[in-house]
Amino acid sequence: MTESYQPTAFSNGYEFTQGTGYQLPEYPFVEPPEIRSGQPGHHPIVIVGGGITGLTLACSLARHGVAAVLLDEDNTVGVKGASSRGICYTQKSLEIFHRLGIYERIAAKGIQWSVGRTFAGDDEVYSFDLKEQAAYNLSTQPPFINIQQFYIEGYLVERIQELGHVQLRWNNRITAFAQDADGATLSVTTPAGDYQLRADHVIDATGSRTPFRQWVGASVTAKKGDDRWCIADVRFTKRPPTERHTWIEAPFNENRAVWQHLMGDDVWRIDYQMAPNADPDEVSREEVVRERLARQFGPDTGVDIVWVGPYAYRSECVDQMRHGRVFLMGDSAKVVSPFGARGGNTGIADADNLAWKLAAVVRGQASPAVLDSYHQERHEASTENVLVTNRTARFLRPVTPAEHLFRRAAIGLAKQHLFARQFVNTGRMAVANTYTRSSLCHATGGRSTQNAAFTWADGSTGVVNDLLQWAGGQLLLLVFGRLSRQDLQHLKALASAAPVRCVQVLGDGEHAQAREHVRDQNPRGTGHLRNACHVYGQTWALVRPDAYVAATGDHLDGSLVQAVARTLGAAATMENA
Amino acid sequence: MMKTTLQVQDADTFYEQLLDAHEGLDADASALLNARLILLLANQVGNAAVLRECIAAAKDTPR
Repeated sequence: MTESYQPTAFSNGYEFTQGTGYQLPEYPFVEPPEIRSGQPGHHPIVIVGGGITGLTLACSLARHGVAAVLLDEDNTVGVKGASSRGICYTQKSLEIFHRLGIYERIAAKGIQWSVGRTFAGDDEVYSFDLKEQAAYNLSTQPPFINIQQFYIEGYLVERIQELGHVQLRWNNRITAFAQDADGATLSVTTPAGDYQLRADHVIDATGSRTPFRQWVGASVTAKKGDDRWCIADVRFTKRPPTERHTWIEAPFNENRAVWQHLMGDDVWRIDYQMAPNADPDEVSREEVVRERLARQFGPDTGVDIVWVGPYAYRSECVDQMRHGRVFLMGDSAKVVSPFGARGGNTGIADADNLAWKLAAVVRGQASPAVLDSYHQERHEASTENVLVTNRTARFLRPVTPAEHLFRRAAIGLAKQHLFARQFVNTGRMAVANTYTRSSLCHATGGRSTQNAAFTWADGSTGVVNDLLQWAGGQLLLLVFGRLSRQDLQHLKALASAAPVRCVQVLGDGEHAQAREHVRDQNPRGTGHLRNACHVYGQTWALVRPDAYVAATGDHLDGSLVQAVARTLGAAATMENA
Repeated sequence: MMKTTLQVQDADTFYEQLLDAHEGLDADASALLNARLILLLANQVGNAAVLRECIAAAKDTPR
């Protein structure tokens, strides 16, 4: 590690925000029944924190019909007084939101983008079009949508209210926490008084300033940095192009980096890299921000400043994402730089990962051992995301003379030669992380599917999420190609013995043998379902409710039975016994 | 595996070309040239294990 890094002056930014701000929804405070009764209420699942991560988990549980309580310290979404946080949502997140039933609203409000251009000085270093990349092709969701985070949070709140099952308790702030063999106790303060809750499972989604790390004694692995940025969310009278633009060295920003992104409501996010010793108060002053914008867009451009927020990022990850009854997720578990949109999107993935496991355990369909896989899977993802974002941060904020030197070499070569573009690291966009160390996944599994389209037996078009919905929180077994009579008997026996729903996937010219069948064909092509499940010649794919493949296999035999048992935590139980 | 026997076809000519390329450059320009060269050559090597071994070997060589 480089010793010349300065200690981080971490800031969430909202202390210094300026601009006219956004209009945020406000939700009513309702006096919790525990205050009147004087008795601590008992709830199987308590979620602390109503940000994008906590709300995604709450909505996912609600969709599974599982009861939970969510505590949020204020009465709105977004960050107090500011509200503009994440902006860029990946295909995987959009697929999750599709499953939760809010994707259409996000697509209608947000901005789809796929073209990105990277500049150094006055030269374009390279550009890309994500639509041309095969990795994004199978899904019915686009590679990315840009939208202000609070919109998604607001949609989640309304969806939860529609679905029921989860109580959203606004203006409920947690003040103390303890856990023992019988449960966890949470002390909560509200405008109407204080009360206590007992819970079996507690989810810490309070974010980067979480008190839980201290309460549960979580150790943290961190890397120091001194990079500082200042966001300006603005509306233009003269519109720049609808593309992601990135300057590594912007002539109009003292040769420091600048990001330019369009979000909903015609609001542009312009993110300026500042000098490492910049004073957050000074760089976010309105006159200073206007001067900076004028340098970039010309003095004649009319600009309406919506929000300004300076920030410094941390890079840290807890070493254990589960501490007894407590599950840390989102920024509570790890904080990364914003490059590559690996913060919010991975919080959403944390939530989606735990939701189905909690639901299966609460319903008695899986062993409590599946809950251990939350740490195994999401800590691997967190570690990967910390590594990837640290590398980008190091490229964008070179510290030593050697780091500066190689960056100059890489940028110079990238303008001439294709290969060198890969060294120019302005952020590696978040992906659905692969799980290689999970006790739930076989070596053939651990990879995310995509929300690919197929044809239902009645001729209408469906997507993977529809199949998951049909499976209703049980495992989904896709069986490809022809089945023998014996195969059909095996499948019938399996479906009656375990929470598994089976469907036969028919290829070209194949006839249906199982009552539940779909055809792997859609208006854009054939074999999308097979490819989305990473099936290239195998017979079956076992898909979890979070759209991850747990295992694939060649024969409908004991290996499949084992895979089902492993995915429901049985194998892990045996290992622990 | 990193090769430690000679692979360069004409070692003397390559060495001379290297020195000639640095002729008349100040320390900064020389360093930049070397950095570009490392990235170009790394792409010719390609193999991750070999690159890792080469970095380790360069680091471990006594002054």
